[in-house]
Amino acid sequence: MRLNKFLPVVFSVTLFSLLYVYQQSEIYRLAYVGQKRQTTLEDLHNQNCILKYNIEKNGSLTQIGDKLSGKSSDFEMPASYRTMKMYYTGENLSLRERGQPKETLLSRIFGVKSEAQAKTVSPR
Amino acid sequence: MYISNYRPRCEAVFIFFLVFLLFCVARLFYIQLFRSNYLAGIAKKQHSLYVELEPTRGTIYDRNLKPQAFNIPVDSVYISPNEIKDKDKEAIIAKLVPILNVDTAYLRDRINRKKSFIWLARKITPEQSVAIKKLNTRGIGLIKESRRSYPNGYLASHIVGFAGMDNSGQEGLELSCDSFLKGVAGWALFLRDARQKKLDLWERMVLPKDGYDLVLTIDEVIQYIAERELDKAFKTYHAKGGSIVVMDPHTGAILALASRPTFDLNIRSNISKDLIRDRAITDMFEPGSVFKIVTASAALEEKKVTEEDKFFCENGQYRVGSHILHDHTSHGWLTFREVVEQSSNIGTVKVAQILGPDTVYKYIKLFGFGTKTGIDLPGEISGSTKPPRAWSKISIAAIPIGQEVGVTAIQLASAISVVANGGQLMKPYLIKEIRDKQGEVIEEFGPRLVNKVISLDTSNRLKKILTGVVEEGTGKMAKMEGFTAAGKTGTGQKLEPNGTYSHSKFFASFIGFAPAEDPMLTIVVCLDEPHPYYGGVVAAPVFKSVAGDVIKYIRSSQESREAVAYNAH
Repeated sequence: MRLNKFLPVVFSVTLFSLLYVYQQSEIYRLAYVGQKRQTTLEDLHNQNCILKYNIEKNGSLTQIGDKLSGKSSDFEMPASYRTMKMYYTGENLSLRERGQPKETLLSRIFGVKSEAQAKTVSPR
Repeated sequence: MYISNYRPRCEAVFIFFLVFLLFCVARLFYIQLFRSNYLAGIAKKQHSLYVELEPTRGTIYDRNLKPQAFNIPVDSVYISPNEIKDKDKEAIIAKLVPILNVDTAYLRDRINRKKSFIWLARKITPEQSVAIKKLNTRGIGLIKESRRSYPNGYLASHIVGFAGMDNSGQEGLELSCDSFLKGVAGWALFLRDARQKKLDLWERMVLPKDGYDLVLTIDEVIQYIAERELDKAFKTYHAKGGSIVVMDPHTGAILALASRPTFDLNIRSNISKDLIRDRAITDMFEPGSVFKIVTASAALEEKKVTEEDKFFCENGQYRVGSHILHDHTSHGWLTFREVVEQSSNIGTVKVAQILGPDTVYKYIKLFGFGTKTGIDLPGEISGSTKPPRAWSKISIAAIPIGQEVGVTAIQLASAISVVANGGQLMKPYLIKEIRDKQGEVIEEFGPRLVNKVISLDTSNRLKKILTGVVEEGTGKMAKMEGFTAAGKTGTGQKLEPNGTYSHSKFFASFIGFAPAEDPMLTIVVCLDEPHPYYGGVVAAPVFKSVAGDVIKYIRSSQESREAVAYNAH
C-alpha cells in the first residue's frame, strides 16, 4: 500500500476511534449528571410526600378534635352572649345588630356545643 | 565475517520472540475460545447491577378522595461492621442508643458481627434520620424505603387495617385487598462505573406495576362523628366494647364502621389481638329485643296479624313449657303495634306461636341471619341460628325475642335496612372503586340485592310501628329535633360460663333509621356490658347524636355542592 493511501486510512480510523471513545465518555458523563439530577428529583419527591403526610395528619379530624377537646385545651366555642359584631363606618366602630345565633357545621362535627339558649325550632 | 559471528545470536533472539509470540497467540486462543464465557460473566457482574424496583403501594381513600393510607419514603439505618475499627465501636453504640431508642446489648451484638451489612433499624422517623446523618460516621449508612402511613391515626382503624414492615397487608382492607394494593415489582440491570457506583443507565428494565388505589364508601366526617359518639358512650358507661355501623339503607354502602377499643394505626408495637378485631363483624351476641323486627315483619308479611289486633300479655308472666317468660313491665291487653312499641316479650312470643317455628325460621334466614354478609373485611363470622328441627320446646319463647340466636352488628344493620328501604336485603360493601395511579377506574362496585324479604306495604307499616317505638315506646331517648326516627331497642343478656343467663352482664343495642319517612341512613349501636345496661338508656342517645349530626352534615354537603354547581353555571 502506498503511503499516500495508508496515511489517510490510518488518520480516518484514528479519528473515528477517538470519536467513538469521546461518545462513550460523554454517555458516562451525562449519566453522572443525570444521576445527580435524579437524586435531587428523588429528594424533592420524598420531601413532597412527607409534607403531604404532615399536612394530612395535622389537618385530620382526629388531630383537630383531640386538640379541641383535650384537657389542656383552652378552646371553647363562645356563646352568643359573649360575642359582638362590629363594623367600621369610616370614622369609628359601630355595633352590628345581633341576629339569631348560628350553629356552624364545624361546631356540630366536633360536638362543641354552646350554652343552652332559647331558640325557635324550625323543622325542615 | 561480522555477520557470521552474530548470526546464531540473531537467530536465537528471533526464535525467542517467535516462541513468545506463539505463546501469546496460544494464550489468546485459550482465553477467547475456552474462558470467554467465564470472563464475560465476571465482567458483567462488575459492570451491571441487578436492582429490584419496588412498586408503589396503592393509596386508600374515603369516598371524598381524602387519603386514609399511603406510603411515605423513610430511611432505614444499616451498619457495616467490617468498616468500623474496634476501638470506635463503643463510642458509636453510645451515640446510637439515644437516637434509635434500642438496647445497648442489641446494638453491641449487631456491631460485633462479622458481616458487611446488618440492619440496625428499619423505617425510622425523619428526626432520627437527621440525627444519624449528623453523626457522619463511617460504617453507618441509610437506605431509602417506603413506609405505610396513616394520617388519621385511629380513625377507621378497623376498616383500613395496616400493612407490615414489608408493605404486605396484615389486617382490614390492607389484607383483604392486598393483591390490588401491592402491585408487581419490576427489575433493571443498571450499569456500574469502575468504582462500582450505580449509574442511571440500564441495559434492560422491566418497569414495576404500581398498586391500585381503593376508594371506599366511608365518609371521613361521618366516621369521625360515629367514633366520637362511641368514645363518649364507651367511657361514660364503662363498656367493655362497642360498635357503631352507619349504612345507606338503599345501597348497602357503609358510611361508617366504628369499633372500640381501638388503636392507632401508626403505633402498633406490642398491640393485643383484642384491640385489632373489628367487633362489628367478629363478635357474635344474642341481640335481645332488636330481633323482634324479624318476628313483626313475618307476622305482617304473612298477614297473620294487623296493627290493631290485641294480645293479652299475661300481666308480665307467661309459662311456655317449663319456662316462665317475663316482660320488663307488666302489661295486660296490648295491640300488636303496642307489643312492638313497648317491647313486650310475651306479646311477641304469642305472635310467634301463631306464625310457627318454620315461618319464623324462614324469615330469620331471609333477613340474612346465620349467613355472612360478605362485607369486604377479613374475619367476618356468620352468627348462629338453628333450624326448627333443632329447636327445643321453649325455643319458640326464646328465638323470636332474640335469645338462642347469635348475630353480628353488621347483620343487624342489613336487617334494619330491609325495613328502611322497602323490603330488600342489600349486601353491605366498603369498596366503591378501584383506580389506577392515573385515576382511571379499573373496577366499580355498586349495590347488590341479596333477596327480597318483605313487600313495600309491610315495610311501610313496620316503619310506622318503629316510629312509634321512638315517639311513644322504649326508644324515646332516640327522638330527635327536626327529624323523625324509627328503630328498636334491645337489651340482651349475656351467657355466663356455666351456660345460664347473666343478671349483670348485658348487650345493649339500638337499631334504627332516620328520617323515618325517607331514610337517609341506618345506624346500629351496640355496647358490650355497659352500666347501666338498657338499650333504650345507653344506646338510643348515641343513635340520636350520630343521626342528628350526620343528617345535618349530609344536607349541608348537598347544599354546598348545589351552590357550587349553580355558581359554575
